[in-house]
Amino acid sequence: MLPNRSRLSVLVFLLPPLLLYCVAVLFPIVQSLFLSFFSWNGISDMEFVGLANYVRMLTADDIFWRSFFNALGYLAICLVLQLGGALLVASLLTSMRRGRELIKTLYLLPAVISTVAIAFLFVRIYSIEPVGLLNQLLHWIGLGALERPWLSDINTVLTAVSAPEGWRFTGLYMLIIYAALLSVPQELEEAARLDGASRWQLFTKIRFPHIMPVWITTTIMATTYGLRGFDIPYLMTNGGPGQSSELLTTYMYKTAFSSTDFGYASTIAVFIVVECLVAVGLILFLLKRKADA
Amino acid sequence: MTAPAAPITRPVAVPSDSPPPLRRRKPPSLHSTLSRVLIALIVIVQVYPLAWLFITSLRTEHDFATGDPFALPKSLTWENYARAFETGNLWLNILNSFIVTMGANVLIVLLGMMAAYALQVLGFRFSKFVRSLFLVGIIVPVQIALVPLFIDYSTINLLDTYPSMIIPLAGFALPMSIYLFSSFFEYIPRETYEAASLDGAGPYRIFGLITLPLSVNTVVTVVLVNSIFIWNDFIFANTFVLSEELKTIPLGLQNYIGAMGKTDWTATFAAVCITITPLLLVFLVLNKAMIQGLESGGSKG
Repeated sequence: MLPNRSRLSVLVFLLPPLLLYCVAVLFPIVQSLFLSFFSWNGISDMEFVGLANYVRMLTADDIFWRSFFNALGYLAICLVLQLGGALLVASLLTSMRRGRELIKTLYLLPAVISTVAIAFLFVRIYSIEPVGLLNQLLHWIGLGALERPWLSDINTVLTAVSAPEGWRFTGLYMLIIYAALLSVPQELEEAARLDGASRWQLFTKIRFPHIMPVWITTTIMATTYGLRGFDIPYLMTNGGPGQSSELLTTYMYKTAFSSTDFGYASTIAVFIVVECLVAVGLILFLLKRKADA
Repeated sequence: MTAPAAPITRPVAVPSDSPPPLRRRKPPSLHSTLSRVLIALIVIVQVYPLAWLFITSLRTEHDFATGDPFALPKSLTWENYARAFETGNLWLNILNSFIVTMGANVLIVLLGMMAAYALQVLGFRFSKFVRSLFLVGIIVPVQIALVPLFIDYSTINLLDTYPSMIIPLAGFALPMSIYLFSSFFEYIPRETYEAASLDGAGPYRIFGLITLPLSVNTVVTVVLVNSIFIWNDFIFANTFVLSEELKTIPLGLQNYIGAMGKTDWTATFAAVCITITPLLLVFLVLNKAMIQGLESGGSKG
């Protein structure tokens, strides 16, 4: 604490940021919570309906549950690609002596591209007429039987819209994990190696426990980002065909801005927030316990 | 599609009979060859689609519609770029994205620095509480703000303006910025402040003469990291902006899809290439600073 600060100076520095934050983040959260108890289409009078929106969402809305499970699938694919890919590349990178900077830059490149551009790109990659990259590749390696319009096949569409999101951010998580791996004390690794530890043991017994705090952070980041995923599915399929790639976020968006059902959309939004908080709590609970054990 | 989805297991074909210390001196072992091949493959998966995007933007339409997508174009053409400029308002879109990115960055940096200064340097009784308040913004998904802001904006006539995009973009980025500045301010020794205080400098002069000038590096980090997200923002722009004159790049690009019933893909790809160039250049020139920023942003979060 500065010795001669005044109460006024604290306010001068704190109020402007707090004001922006309240207007853009805190107040809308409260407002959503409020709206979720009403039925309102934006024009007519707001009607208080109590918990009716929640009851409808949890018990009577098949699309909601469909979207919820789709969102979990989307999250799972993103996590495997982002965290799995990141850990793999970061580990491999530490054993390389040259070209690390170049690989880091190249690996991160997709993170700079806008989601709209990525959506266009992947629409073409998955395309069958004219034949896109994926189908052509399958054809070449003799898996021609798998060729299909990936985005209109209800069995593949969810995977197809999730993969670009995983692809996009794996570089970001790789950077963070790589920085953590570099901080593992060399002496520790040397000692384990002298004791005859295999690479796998070295990884599971020394490196991974050491980067556990960073791993928790990245898992939380990737999970909350995965749960708020919206742009790519919205742009590529708009939830279709049918509801087979509908996520909670796209469903909420359509409920709000296509059906202008602001009350019910807010209910779904509140659910997404609760879902994020539960996910973060769960990660902290599971991983912290594991780290302490 | 992306990096081989195989989980964390990596090839562990290590000859276990050779004494470990010697292994490092040996010519490339099976393990290091394998890992190099694997890295090369993964990097190709990451980069090739982008290269393909660029190559396609130089193809003739006929070549694109009929040819093998992996083949190199038979002839190169810049026509797609000409059509890209004809179809959309690319310059306007770029200008709008630039204004929004700048506006949001000014707020994020200035307000982030001020809040961090109040929390970290000045300190006050409820600072713990305020900190946890800001933490909420990191976890909560941006979608929660869409409906309320849309309603509020329409009441005060702020829909379809630059601020309608800048306010939520800055608001949701603020916590991370405060966090980065706070952790930097920790490293400024207390004695510096105490000495300045003894010389009679108040909190405002200390902020202007000590904290601000020392933070240049952190400012660069914060701006770079946020610019990626703001430049590419789709959801806020798509929700709050309706008129052509205010459309940012992500919205402008959408105009290319089905504009004439049938999508002109080569021109669309040309437009994509044009719009990713500014950020890509900044990224390639400053990638050291950016990488450092991203690393520090996550590893301490």
